[in-house]
Amino acid sequence: MDNTKSTSKKNQNSNLDQNIDVPKKGKGRFRDTLKILFSSKAATIGLILVLFWVFVALLAPYITSYSPMEQDWKAPNKGPSIAHPLGTDELGRDIWSRLAYGARIVLIVMPISEKLWIPGGTAIWGVIAALFCGASLGLISGYKGGWADEIIMRLLDAMMSIPVILLYLIIVAALGASAVNVVIAIAIVGTPGVARLVRSLTLDIRTRDYVRAAETRGETLLYILFMEILPNAKGPIIIDAMLRVGYAIFAMGTLGFLGLGMPPPSPDWGSMVAKGREFILIGNPWASLWPSLAIASLVVGLNLLADGLREESMRYQ
Amino acid sequence: MAKFIIRRFFLLVLTMLLVSIAVFLIVESSPGNIAKNVLGAFITPEQEASFLAQQGLDKPLFQRYWFWLVGSDRVAERKCGFELERIETASGFQEWWVKGENGSLMRWNLEGEDLFVYIRKDNVTIEKRKDNERWVKAGDGSSIFWGIDRNNHAVLWVKGASSEVWNFVVGTGWIKSTGGPQSYIPLKKGFLRGDFGVSLRTGRPVEKSLFIRLRNSVVLAGIAFVVVMPFALLLGMVAGINEGSFQDRFLSIAGMIFSVIPEFATGIFLILIMAHWLELVPGASVFGEKAPWQRPDMLILPVLTLTLIELGYVLRITRASMAEVMRSAYIRTAFLKGLPFWKVIFRHAAKNALIAPITVIMLHVNWLMGGIVIVEVVFGYPGLGQYLLDSALYKDVNAIEAGTMIMVLLAVGTQLFADVLYTFLNPRIRYS
Repeated sequence: MDNTKSTSKKNQNSNLDQNIDVPKKGKGRFRDTLKILFSSKAATIGLILVLFWVFVALLAPYITSYSPMEQDWKAPNKGPSIAHPLGTDELGRDIWSRLAYGARIVLIVMPISEKLWIPGGTAIWGVIAALFCGASLGLISGYKGGWADEIIMRLLDAMMSIPVILLYLIIVAALGASAVNVVIAIAIVGTPGVARLVRSLTLDIRTRDYVRAAETRGETLLYILFMEILPNAKGPIIIDAMLRVGYAIFAMGTLGFLGLGMPPPSPDWGSMVAKGREFILIGNPWASLWPSLAIASLVVGLNLLADGLREESMRYQ
Repeated sequence: MAKFIIRRFFLLVLTMLLVSIAVFLIVESSPGNIAKNVLGAFITPEQEASFLAQQGLDKPLFQRYWFWLVGSDRVAERKCGFELERIETASGFQEWWVKGENGSLMRWNLEGEDLFVYIRKDNVTIEKRKDNERWVKAGDGSSIFWGIDRNNHAVLWVKGASSEVWNFVVGTGWIKSTGGPQSYIPLKKGFLRGDFGVSLRTGRPVEKSLFIRLRNSVVLAGIAFVVVMPFALLLGMVAGINEGSFQDRFLSIAGMIFSVIPEFATGIFLILIMAHWLELVPGASVFGEKAPWQRPDMLILPVLTLTLIELGYVLRITRASMAEVMRSAYIRTAFLKGLPFWKVIFRHAAKNALIAPITVIMLHVNWLMGGIVIVEVVFGYPGLGQYLLDSALYKDVNAIEAGTMIMVLLAVGTQLFADVLYTFLNPRIRYS
């Protein structure tokens, strides 16, 4: 352990030197990021878990032999077998297919309506929406200061003091369960946190010379906020966003479990657990076990990855 | 300090006000219909309209909010010209009556075209007689009367040729009459005067169900808290003493894993392992009307689930705080003085390292509440979270508001408490 540690430190030191000498572009930078990742075992495991699910989601139609909705009335509530590698649920649907297509909804596509699916998973869109709202509020609040800051921050404080679960419950239960409403809920819940982070970063960045220069040039407010300040705050925001994807998947699972996620019969991990739970007593633990494991592994993977990245990037500084 | 507390208290009140308005608006703007949720999908439009009117849901939004906030009895008193009183009967029902002459209480009922008055004397006997003298002639040949009916509404009864109403009379069925109730005001004292209103779902006063649920939740959370704290603080300190050591990395990664896995997944794993495969404990906590402590075996799994989730969280905070303290100069001094290791840890480090976790945990009470809600749903535990979920699914606005207000009060209240506690634990902090 000691040995690997010292070598990884050496690596970082050499990277650090190179970073100071020549600012890297493109490939070199990518290699650096990978080096950071693989120097931490936890982050590597996290990356593997996340990549696993991303590939499963991407390749879902090619690695499953059933459609997620296909029912086999002759084999409901079966354990793992050759025909169904993870078993079947109470309607005889293949759990592996449902997991793979469920991963798709989380990470790759978002169902707007029955016909219309847009790229970018539901969790991803939730985080993007939260980032957009939070960053806008945080930038204005931090850059403008004064009464705008006071009002925005007090309102966000009030929002933050409301139990998160309550927000989810009320928003989704009231708006109705659909992917769009889940995104709205995730965005509303995530906004205050993002806003706070961006505001604190903005407070620091707005004193820099390049912001002064932009002001003197007479740039518009929007230009200064989004072209000068935001790009310079992106490091911490990206790591925060990665954690937030974890929270969003967590939230999606929780909502699905409470019956507030995607409407059935779409393969939603949370609702698969909720449904499978009812059949534990009659002797089929698999229908609730696999989706629980899936969501746990994906969330843990994302957190390991984000943690590893944060630790390594902090060591850089 | 006093100023700080007053300011925070003001913010708490403001938050609750804003949240209550927001909840009203969200529930209002959402699709779906409480009448259909309660009475079933096959109700006729007339039944739906009648239900909505009797619950006061046909009133404009701001009026309903106002009634919810400060009560509707004042308005009702002005309408009918009597003084109203809420009493609690021997069997525990809340009833609204009109204060009549010489201390008797009155309510009315319309049967066909005849108005009957119920007079309650000495809180025991109830006398029923015809009371058609109350009718007031209105302009278009009809007669009207504002009174209190037997279901805690202020009601406007109208009788006359122009208005035909179908009424349901018990024992007779639907009969057509020329008179009937035209407008309802459900009577309540309002949130500010401690009345949460009647649950639209169950028809019972919200507070009767709510406080039992709240007690159950507090029992669950309390036991979990007592179990988890010593463990988590101890493990967190062990991890923090040697930052970067094997036990530190093991504990913090394990803690992180436990704290980020969704509560329902942890719950399912525990149910499968402990109840399904090992058959050690029951996998659900269903105790109906019984109090949780009467079936302690059913508490084991919910408490264990909460413990695992909170453990990771508290452990990580304690670890970070401990690691920071261990790097500080006075700890190095203590070691250099030649003090024994454990003395330094417990005398010098622990004292300062535990300030942060204790307060941060309180700040995160709303996060922990989420865990409790899910754990309650997983195990069927009759707590506040389940109540709130059911109410939200039914659009039972009174119950949602009551549950929300209690949760916000708890969350913000503990945050305030944590801030105050922090100033005592860490005298360097002064709020101004």
